[in-house]
Amino acid sequence: MFRLNLKIALRNLWRNKVITSINIGGLAIALAAFILVTMYFTYETGFDKENPNYNEIYIVGRQLPDFKTNYTPPPLGKAIKAEMPEVVAVGTMKMSFFEFPVSSDHGVVFLSKCLYLDYAAAKMFNIKPTVGLTKPESTTENLFYLSNENYKTLFPHNKNGQPEMIWLGSKSANMTGKLSGSIFADPHSNITFDAISLMKEVGIGENYGYNNYSTYIQVKPGTDIQELEAKINTLYKKEMLKNGEDPNNETFKATKAFLDPLKNQHLKPKAGTDANYKVLIALSVLGILILVIACINFTNLSIAQATKRAKEVGVKKVMGAYRFQLAFQFLTEILIQCLAATILGLIMAEIILPKFNNLFVVNLSIWVANSALFWQLPLILIFITLIAGIYPAMVLSGFKPALVLKGNFQTSKQSYWLRNSLLVVQFSVAVVFIIGLLIINSQLKYMRTQDIGFKPEQVVYIKNLAYFVSPSKFDPIRDKMVKIPGVKSVTVTNALPDGSDSGKNKYTVDGKEQSLSFTDVDFDYFETLDIKIKEGRTFSREFKTDTANSAILNEAAVAKYGLTSPIGKTIKGCQNKEYKIVGVIKDFKALGFEKAVQPTIYAINDPCGNPKTEIMLKIEESKMSEVLSTLKSQWPEINKLDGDNFRYQFLDEMYGKLFKKQEQLQSVFFAAAILTIFIAILGLFAFAKYITTGRMKEIAVRKILGASHLQIFKLINSSFFVMVLIANIISWPLAYILTKKWLETFAYRIDLPLFPFLISAVLTILLTIVTVSIQANSAVKANPVDALKYE
Amino acid sequence: MIQLNNIEKYYANKGIKNYVLRLVTTNIKQGEFVSIMGPSGAGKSTLLNIIGMLEEPTYGSYEFLGEDVTSLNERKRIELYRNHIGFVFQAYHLIDEMTVYENIEAPLLYKKVGSSERASRIADLLDRFNIVAKKDLFPNQLSGGQQQLVGIARALAAQPSIILADEPTGNLQSAQAEEIMTLFKKLNQEDGITIIQVTHSEKNAQYGNRILHIADGIVKEDVAILS
Repeated sequence: MFRLNLKIALRNLWRNKVITSINIGGLAIALAAFILVTMYFTYETGFDKENPNYNEIYIVGRQLPDFKTNYTPPPLGKAIKAEMPEVVAVGTMKMSFFEFPVSSDHGVVFLSKCLYLDYAAAKMFNIKPTVGLTKPESTTENLFYLSNENYKTLFPHNKNGQPEMIWLGSKSANMTGKLSGSIFADPHSNITFDAISLMKEVGIGENYGYNNYSTYIQVKPGTDIQELEAKINTLYKKEMLKNGEDPNNETFKATKAFLDPLKNQHLKPKAGTDANYKVLIALSVLGILILVIACINFTNLSIAQATKRAKEVGVKKVMGAYRFQLAFQFLTEILIQCLAATILGLIMAEIILPKFNNLFVVNLSIWVANSALFWQLPLILIFITLIAGIYPAMVLSGFKPALVLKGNFQTSKQSYWLRNSLLVVQFSVAVVFIIGLLIINSQLKYMRTQDIGFKPEQVVYIKNLAYFVSPSKFDPIRDKMVKIPGVKSVTVTNALPDGSDSGKNKYTVDGKEQSLSFTDVDFDYFETLDIKIKEGRTFSREFKTDTANSAILNEAAVAKYGLTSPIGKTIKGCQNKEYKIVGVIKDFKALGFEKAVQPTIYAINDPCGNPKTEIMLKIEESKMSEVLSTLKSQWPEINKLDGDNFRYQFLDEMYGKLFKKQEQLQSVFFAAAILTIFIAILGLFAFAKYITTGRMKEIAVRKILGASHLQIFKLINSSFFVMVLIANIISWPLAYILTKKWLETFAYRIDLPLFPFLISAVLTILLTIVTVSIQANSAVKANPVDALKYE
Repeated sequence: MIQLNNIEKYYANKGIKNYVLRLVTTNIKQGEFVSIMGPSGAGKSTLLNIIGMLEEPTYGSYEFLGEDVTSLNERKRIELYRNHIGFVFQAYHLIDEMTVYENIEAPLLYKKVGSSERASRIADLLDRFNIVAKKDLFPNQLSGGQQQLVGIARALAAQPSIILADEPTGNLQSAQAEEIMTLFKKLNQEDGITIIQVTHSEKNAQYGNRILHIADGIVKEDVAILS
């Protein structure tokens, strides 16, 4: 029996190839999207889940009056360990973001995330060097491990990650150190690093003022966390007072210690942003929505096909089939299609995966042994079979033989409103995405074409470890570089115009104190970046005072003070240093388009500034590669202070990264728009098919009465036209609010354009007419005699 | 075998009852070959549907094999379909996705007949109806008469005691119609299968041994045919 049903199912699917492929294809595409979202969801919620103490680990954070932070002082952990019996272990660690090179005879790696942690933390997070975790014997001993990748670069022939000697810092400085081995840096953990420095204890001698460590605690299972949090808070306050904190200090009074579970650290830490979490939820909702809609479309298309199967149901019933047997038969058929869709969906997911990984900066893979997908997929299959199959199975198996066997059976026109509203919802979603996509496109186009006020093209940024506070120290290096043919200008600064925030300080002009951003520069800064001067002049070697007390303001700063003739005025900065304003530059968008141009002061001599380390060169386009190779070969000689490693980046690429988030959003919207349109069209196709088969007789009668083909096309299209129009009208306000909110995150943005709304309407209506007309075509072309034969 | 008492069927529309059948009382015995005749809209098919339990009468009682089946639950009704009733339709209603063989096999599968028994019964039917060569063809590859032969073979597969046929020759040319009617007569006389058919044709009715004339839902005449 089952085999026969299976045979019928396959024959049936084969006979209706178009419908079958639309059904399976539509579902497969939605499934591919859903599989990707599921994988992403599993990945994002699975950080550190492998840790056996996953549910018992908490990070200790501090709540200050205006923000929360996970940075805590090292003695706090020790105090907690000493006084709280429910805390099993306390691990303390510190991340160093300072970039420094490490080299061997085989190569060099640059470490930018070196993690200093104590033995307890390594145990808590299961951080195991390849050679095994050993406890440093004394508090002065320091075990240094490189991540497997870095270790392989330095010692490509070592198989076991054994200890080696390495050069720390520049090779020419000839400072060697002991490398204890290699270590696996799990990218799927909250604790990331490219090297670790393991100590028996960290932060020795650092008291409660040193808030730059992360303190993790592991509690006994079943501990009341709220109670523990209160106890830790009390302890923290007590310790602070013992350390000489003023009990009346307002900031101190408002400060509180809190606990945040490890499992929330990646997506929604108390101290930090939950933007990832929101993105994940939005993606999940979208994935489920698309899948459910695809299932409902599947259902509709199956029911639209029902007339063809009605006879079979009737005959089988009079042959003695129970309803449940028939229902089971149809469910089996749908299961076959869902299975095919799942396999196809997996293949599609596999094809899209590299793009997806690239977009979300993850490294997901379907074919891994312990993939959660292996148990998720069968569940998904059952889930979609039930959603897509239950209703058609009930409807089809419920046909009354006495009605269907008379020969002129037509599916009834029931529950139109449900299908109508479903169609409207599908199109509304699609319209929102179309409008969103068009507006994102316009804003990105604006960002790419708008004058940003400086020219990052052909500017090369050289990574440098040496400090150049005074111009006299940088001059010899500049001279050597300028001599290379093709180098137009060279400068050094403490902040690149690549979107990074610069420091702020109070400055006073005419007795008016304002907070300004400051950028410490050297000669040729404005020339290198091609920044336009508005009034006065830029820094020049001809004026001896420029290296001492000259300053340049940007327009925003001038506006902030409300100065009418700023040139020659005195501006007073930190340590009461007085500058003379020698020039005003035009505003330039160093921070990109999201943040407004900051009122900024530029000076060569700034006693409170950060050290100038960022070297920038403007190079002729045609000589770019020669200049770079010359620099590379001569670098140790040019910049003895930095050492032997010449590393550079193009400024325009760095600036371009500011667009990356928007480009990512654009890709997501592009995919979502295509997907939702596709699914909506599928739904429409099913519905149009259903309607036209239901109206076959009506169409035949109208044709006999003299209706032209065009009139019949109009007749069938009109109701769909209205629905799509309603969908547009529903979506417009929604899309308007959403895109307006999005545009408001930009300091420099386009006015909300009208055309995306019109385009989305025209596009959806056009697609509707085409889809419906294709469907209606067969009904219109059919010979009326066929439809009217049985009466 | 079949006892109908005061069967009424009407459709109420805005309070007005549209009668299809009125006070039909009749008795059909085992081994009879009954033809139901009458003009279009007389209620012939409705009467057959009620006998076949595809429709329920609005009023009256119906006994099948001595059991009251006026309103029967699905399970019991399907038991009767599996064991006692075979249907033959004007439009044949073979399942398009099944071959001739599979079409005949289907009712046996529902009746849960063992596979060797199934095979021998189907072979027997194919042989008897001279359609062995056609067993792997699909319905649309057959002529109307051949399709109806398969339809009858399917109805007989479950070895029913009664066959209900709604204009079995309505879509057939006369030569084929004659063949089918001869077959019915043979089944009735040699195998003792009770047959009830709806027909428009006086000629076809003559193959049976009793005619019920219906007009406007009322049995006007009940004639026995002497052969």
